[in-house]
Amino acid sequence: MNAAIDVSNVSKSFRRYRPDRPMMLQEVLARGFRGLRTTEQFWALRDVSFSVPRGRAVGIIGTNGSGKSTLLRLVGGIGSVDSGRVRVNGRVGALLDLGSGLHGDLTGRENVIVAGVLNGLSRREVLRRFDAIVAFSEIEKFIDNPMRTYSSGMQMRLAFAINVHTNPDVLLIDEVLAVGDAAFQRKCLARIQEFKANGCSILLVSHGLAVVQRLCDEVLWMNNGRLMAHGPVNQVVRQYEAHVGYTMEPELVAEGAAAAPVTVNAPATPAPAAAAVAPGVPALPDDGGTPAEGMRIVAVGLLDGTGHALEEFRSGQPLQVAIDFETTGAASPPRFRVRVVREDGLVCCDLATDGIDMSRLPSTGRGRMVLMLDRLDLNSGRYGVDIVPYPEAAPHDGGAQAPGCPLTVIGDSVREAVLAVPHRWEFDAGAWDAGLAGREPTP
Amino acid sequence: MQFRAIGASGGNRAPRPRHQALVNAVRPAIIVGSMPPGAVATPLHSTERAPWFSLQRWAHVRDVLRELIARDVKLRYRGSYFGMAWTLLNPITELAVLYFIFGSVLPLSIPNYAAFLFTGLLVYTWFQSSLFSATVAVVSNRDLIRRPNVPLAVLPIISVASTLLHFLLSLPVLFALLLVTGVPITAAALTLPLLIGVQFVFILALAYPLAALHVWFRDTQYFLKVALQLLFFLTPVFYESKTIPEQFRYLYAINPMVGIVDGYRDVLVRGVVPPWQTWLTLLAVSTGLLLVSLAGFRRASRHFADEL
Repeated sequence: MNAAIDVSNVSKSFRRYRPDRPMMLQEVLARGFRGLRTTEQFWALRDVSFSVPRGRAVGIIGTNGSGKSTLLRLVGGIGSVDSGRVRVNGRVGALLDLGSGLHGDLTGRENVIVAGVLNGLSRREVLRRFDAIVAFSEIEKFIDNPMRTYSSGMQMRLAFAINVHTNPDVLLIDEVLAVGDAAFQRKCLARIQEFKANGCSILLVSHGLAVVQRLCDEVLWMNNGRLMAHGPVNQVVRQYEAHVGYTMEPELVAEGAAAAPVTVNAPATPAPAAAAVAPGVPALPDDGGTPAEGMRIVAVGLLDGTGHALEEFRSGQPLQVAIDFETTGAASPPRFRVRVVREDGLVCCDLATDGIDMSRLPSTGRGRMVLMLDRLDLNSGRYGVDIVPYPEAAPHDGGAQAPGCPLTVIGDSVREAVLAVPHRWEFDAGAWDAGLAGREPTP
Repeated sequence: MQFRAIGASGGNRAPRPRHQALVNAVRPAIIVGSMPPGAVATPLHSTERAPWFSLQRWAHVRDVLRELIARDVKLRYRGSYFGMAWTLLNPITELAVLYFIFGSVLPLSIPNYAAFLFTGLLVYTWFQSSLFSATVAVVSNRDLIRRPNVPLAVLPIISVASTLLHFLLSLPVLFALLLVTGVPITAAALTLPLLIGVQFVFILALAYPLAALHVWFRDTQYFLKVALQLLFFLTPVFYESKTIPEQFRYLYAINPMVGIVDGYRDVLVRGVVPPWQTWLTLLAVSTGLLLVSLAGFRRASRHFADEL
């Protein structure tokens, strides 16, 4: 197999010094030379092997300090391995430290050329792509100003634009997709997908599982410098979640929603079996989540007012939340709780089946619960819809949560508020001073 | 893609100890290049030996050099009022002071002393300022080191080359001084580019080990400062090398800057071409040093990213 990236038995260690290691000669003389010795070797990577075929996108997930970024750097040829071998076939493009190589005292134009050449393009290639780079970064007007006068968002946009205007055979991405506003992020994601479509192999490090699920074909799970698993996205992500005791907390829903701003609820690969159960409803992984005892949520989907899969949601439209579940001998009838959470974690509504007679539900079998919202007057923005099944015994905050669905609300108002209440303005000239007099608006 | 269970990530082979890895893992491909789209992909960097020569690679290195040198020159005096003039102000003030001391206070009675002195000063200034800037070339370019595709061996070259530009810009002033003080400019001056080339190679040969050493040992720049100050007196900048007593000549001539400065004087002030033995020695010494120090730098450069 002609792999784009081939990593075999790679180990890498860093030396760790004592915290009180003498740094200067006077300290060494005072305390003797013993403190100079390294105390321990810290293995950032241990015996890692994998390969990435051409045109595949592979995500690397893992907790902080698990060796993801070190691995990515080694693939980029930065740093040395202690043992093993890293082979990369083709030109490497990298979205690692975006701002590196840019200088604040140079103008945007000068920086584009220097950084483009540093990225492996020839000077002529950079000049040819110059207009495209500037257009992508959306800072045409400021391109001849020194970079230090740019806002940080502008700097990042320019840096990103330079870095994606190469034609790499292998693209390395490290947690840099959160650049700029939603529209720019969308553009970045689209650009990366374009790379992939053109046969570029991608190695992506991210904490946002939604991004990984959206972009990647396979996932590597790293833990403490070891490769724990390498396989299909959903399988490995599930293993990882089980390992870290991962539950979908509001912040994480928000992260997922933020990372996938356009599509409403579209996991990368729906499991075919579950999809057959509920057409139009994206499926959760087969044994996904760990909901309440005796009940399992198979799939969750957002539907529009007519029961069809939601394409885009406008503020004030009806929304249905469909929950396909399975009960296996539950002691008590299942109960459901649905929360709509804004991306910053604010709970906008929290609706439960409390007080509704659920005894009609079979104790063993399948079914779909649908929460009908006649209208949802949320302000435009990104939200997540959380499904929280819980057992009878713990009516509040009980039970594990199933992963939420991202929901992007499109509306006219962009002011800061939770609600976009249906309203209109009227003008009545004759009513002046008719009862409001004396009650001046407080400044 | 087959799914692999937890922990089954290859054999349980213990990684080799660090020192052995250092000996074995040869990665000469510090100079990583680009290739045109559609070309047959060859490994551009890997822990294995990459092809030593490829046109695209060198074309890329050339572009990187060009852009980074231009950046260095642009940034050096950006924001300062006198700008490029500083390149000249420095040796000119030194010239004024030394000319006063050794022309009037402690007269050395060297013919054409102003031209003699200025030649030495310019040559030594280039030597000194390029070594200062090359020593910190790696450390101060941390973000370039943490990027793929950047050939690290260019970093010291950039320092030496951008100071060379300043040296070249001050040459017209030197020629003006020669004319004003009535020193005839002869055909010997045509060998000047060769001399500059030799000096470039020699400076670079010192720049590589200094830049690499500074990564691990940050006192390098302070040592260098002291060393260059002392070397100023051990190089015939303001006196003639033939005034050195006979019994110290051999020891004195170990410093290659002696031969280089004398070479410039021969060519510019005395109007003679140095004998071929001198050229041969200078070339052989500088090139030999450069090859050794470049090899060392490449070896060391694999660890730069880890140390910075």
